[in-house]
Amino acid sequence: MSGYRLKSGGRIDRSKPLNFTFDGRAMQGFAGDTLSSAILANGVGTIGRSFKYHRPRGIYAAGIEDPNAMLEVVDGHGREPGLRAGQVHLVEGLQARSVTGWPSPQFDLVSAATRLMSPFMTAGFYYKTLKWPNWSWYEEAVRKAAGFGAPDGTVDGRQREYRHASCDVLVIGAGPAGLAAVSSLKGSGRDVVLVDHASSAGGALRWEAAQIDGSEGMIWADKVVADCQADGGQVLLNTFVTGAYEGNYFTLIESLVDHRGLKAERIWKLRAREIIMATGAVDRPLVYQNNDRPGTFLSTSVRQFISEYGVAPGKRLAIFTNNDSGYLTALQAAAAGMATPVVIDTRSAPSAAHVEAAREKGIEVFVQSQVADVVGGRGLRAVRVVDQAGKIRTVSCDAIALTGGATPMIHLAAHRGAKPIYDEASASFVCATLPKGWHGAGAATGSRELADVLAQGHAAGQAIVATVNSAPVANVALGMGDVVPMWQAKTGSAKKMFVDLQNDVKASDVQLAAQENYISAEHLKRYSTLGMGTDQGRTSNINGLAIMAAATGREVAKVGTTTFRPPYTATRMGAIAHHRQNDGFAPRRRMPAHSDHASNGAQFEDFGWQRPDWYTKNGSDREAAVGIEMTAVRTGVGVFDASPLGKVEVVGPDARVFINKFYVSNLATLKPGRIRYSVMCHDDGIIFDDGVVACVDDNFFLAGPTSGNAETVGAWFERWRQTEWPDMAVAIAPVTSNWAAIALAGPKARDLLARLSPDFDISGEGFAHMHFREGTIGGVPARAARVSFTGELQYEIAVPARYGQALMQAALSEGADLGAVPVGMEAWLRLRLEKGYLHLGADTNGRTTPLDIGMGGVVMKKAADFIGKRALSLPYNASEGREELVGLKPVDAPIKIGGRILADGYAQIPCPSIGNVTSACDSPLAGNIAMALIEGGSKRMGEKVKIYAEGKITEAEVCSPVFVDPQNERLHA
Amino acid sequence: MIVLNCPYCGQDRHEEELTYGGEAEIIRPLEPEEASDELWTEYLYFRTNPKGTHHEQWCCSGGCGQWFKVARDTVSHDILEVVTFDKRLSA
Repeated sequence: MSGYRLKSGGRIDRSKPLNFTFDGRAMQGFAGDTLSSAILANGVGTIGRSFKYHRPRGIYAAGIEDPNAMLEVVDGHGREPGLRAGQVHLVEGLQARSVTGWPSPQFDLVSAATRLMSPFMTAGFYYKTLKWPNWSWYEEAVRKAAGFGAPDGTVDGRQREYRHASCDVLVIGAGPAGLAAVSSLKGSGRDVVLVDHASSAGGALRWEAAQIDGSEGMIWADKVVADCQADGGQVLLNTFVTGAYEGNYFTLIESLVDHRGLKAERIWKLRAREIIMATGAVDRPLVYQNNDRPGTFLSTSVRQFISEYGVAPGKRLAIFTNNDSGYLTALQAAAAGMATPVVIDTRSAPSAAHVEAAREKGIEVFVQSQVADVVGGRGLRAVRVVDQAGKIRTVSCDAIALTGGATPMIHLAAHRGAKPIYDEASASFVCATLPKGWHGAGAATGSRELADVLAQGHAAGQAIVATVNSAPVANVALGMGDVVPMWQAKTGSAKKMFVDLQNDVKASDVQLAAQENYISAEHLKRYSTLGMGTDQGRTSNINGLAIMAAATGREVAKVGTTTFRPPYTATRMGAIAHHRQNDGFAPRRRMPAHSDHASNGAQFEDFGWQRPDWYTKNGSDREAAVGIEMTAVRTGVGVFDASPLGKVEVVGPDARVFINKFYVSNLATLKPGRIRYSVMCHDDGIIFDDGVVACVDDNFFLAGPTSGNAETVGAWFERWRQTEWPDMAVAIAPVTSNWAAIALAGPKARDLLARLSPDFDISGEGFAHMHFREGTIGGVPARAARVSFTGELQYEIAVPARYGQALMQAALSEGADLGAVPVGMEAWLRLRLEKGYLHLGADTNGRTTPLDIGMGGVVMKKAADFIGKRALSLPYNASEGREELVGLKPVDAPIKIGGRILADGYAQIPCPSIGNVTSACDSPLAGNIAMALIEGGSKRMGEKVKIYAEGKITEAEVCSPVFVDPQNERLHA
Repeated sequence: MIVLNCPYCGQDRHEEELTYGGEAEIIRPLEPEEASDELWTEYLYFRTNPKGTHHEQWCCSGGCGQWFKVARDTVSHDILEVVTFDKRLSA
């Protein structure tokens, strides 16, 4: 085969040559070329090897329907392992490589081997053959021989963004049908978005000879687009609609290309009230022996190559057709100055006008003829034409164009569940009924002639809103004509007739599937892999189904089709996920004093907020620093940033009754200025949060949920207020991030607090444990709570967030001579473990109730109902032997967090488990300590249990979880 | 992708701006201590899960924050009715 650049013609810019390489060979194309047209213009025949049999394959079509042209592409912005050449805009310096065939597609070693094997590689080959002893034995080798390139692990330089939008009318496809709809809506005031995957509007007008409203087709198209934009419409080119979803919601991917290549991609999430589906059609190939040889093309693509790109796909063209459109290809080839082509028409009575026009140009026409075989392996040299009488003639040609009719692109309607039905008139599957708000127009509905296409587009626009605009008038010399189906050539071996070129499925594979009773469309697809490639079977599905119909004696309509699912065409993972990497993955929330933590060497961890885990200021490694931070709290004073701690205000005359419904403790008696610790359940009795509640006054309670549930608890209160107790006079205000908070903890905490100038009494008697004060500190409003998560004398002081940094700085500088150090999360959590205070979500799980953590007494004392109360007396929650939270001390070796507790009487695994270690650490005061949820734990005090962790079994003793200061003397200091 | 017109703020809200709250019109027995284990278990766990019209709770969480009720067809995703929380769905 020998494609070449025509001397004139095409919409390319011949004044702008572009250099690129294919498989390392320097080549030249022009601005306006796609990678397909440029490669073809350089005379390249074989561009890759087929998936299964490693047969040589060439460029086959001009667009995304090409099953062969998957190439690795490196442009100025990045590398892509597998792109369809027809959708890549040629840019200067682009490098393209074959991704199939080794060592090269021209000389492929695997092909030699598979040629011997190919009789055995039929439908279901993998299922039947590569199963002994199992698939994993073969997988690596098979994947290396197959596939379409591999990612190289680098991050490309392309930009990506999401955009959300809505419109009144979404017109999908800027071909004649879509444009007729747009022109019909001109001046209607409707907000129109027109989308097309090509880089210019016009669709088939870019290469077909047609006049509309008295002008050349493309001039009309440009005018419609300009009018649409002037009307406020949006025109998105280089944009694929990749999926259609409920509520007429669409995903679009827009490619933004500059002189270096694909610069950026934009994902649109677009919602439309009305939809014009003008998605067009692609040519359907014909199935005959060796119909996959390089030099084989779809007929419409040949017209596109000639008239849009100025490229002749070969020196002499043969056209194999079952409809009039093949003649259009022959006439364009002749007009472009290519050697006089030949038409092979399966029909007995083709359109006289077309035949006449062809013969006028000296084009030879064989009627009632078929292609029996081709001559040439890596390049076509001739076709063997068989006529009705069985007489075979050899016709020399180096390219063949195929049209077996058109396949409407109904994918998007099918995404919404529209059922494709077989339309005898167009010999194709179309959607008889479309989703609500959808209007079909043009080739996507099976229409073939331009006049019909324009009329349908206009009617679709008028169906949305009646306007005064008249329908565009077409003037076309020769039409596309009706299709007389020919599903499979009558001469030749079915074992060499390719139905699906991407997946190497042959007519014989479809017939074998039928023989083995995989006769439904869905079974056929999975058994033979027909249509399972990245081309989504655009060129193969209908032929395959028709061959199945013939093999099972059914009508095509009865076989049905498989289900189309998004995306419409292969989509880069980068487009979807690129912006969700690194800092784009989730926003980082920083506390007001973040920069002070950083300057103290904070090692941040993400706890929903960026929180210091430990500080390098306190020690060069984590263990050393954590030890110093813990010791400071036990002997001096530590300063901990508690800003993320939840703060939810509950205000109003019914505030007390309301909040008492949430916590398991009785808050009816909580006096103003006092604080109580409690837990909160869902109505199934399972603990979902814990924290302290302060009674500011009788109408004002301040709940302190855990940091992780700060938003959730506010929303939880609000939901119950709205849905269950709408008559209660209470308002909920989640104010977590309005206030920054620090905790001062340790025997010297009071001394430090005094230096921060509170305007209230902080003496031991004046501000006792579990008391709350409002006042000022250093002249700024403050809420102070004397509560303790560490077991030490501890104050939590909240100030308006804008003073948070100043408060942190003041605490550390004023406390310097008291030995005040910043304390991170790790030390904080170990300090609480020394005291046996539970850490929600670590020491509780999705089954833990208040009864399981030793709060049974509290629950029993509360007479009023609370959320979760009734469930606690359901049989399962009230049963004996539930997992209960206890302490553990090691007997022989340190306890590992996550270790499983062996059931009684077992010394080895496997065995049943009765619980697990929920927290464990080394404590400077108490040594190795742990907490665990163990079945019947509260009745096991003093018992020895065995723990399995990290491959070892160790022993521990069940004890009270309070390891430090069980008398709470430090707490009340 | 579901879009609901919030009956409180009147705005069309996309699924991403909404929070789903499970089946609607689940009655929490007024006297929990009087309720049998069976009744309480029914209230806590048992839902209808119909193929067809489903009564649901939704919250305009990205907007006005109000909970409301929706009748939705679980097959077609058609929104049949949207009412404020104090009303009963009729669809």
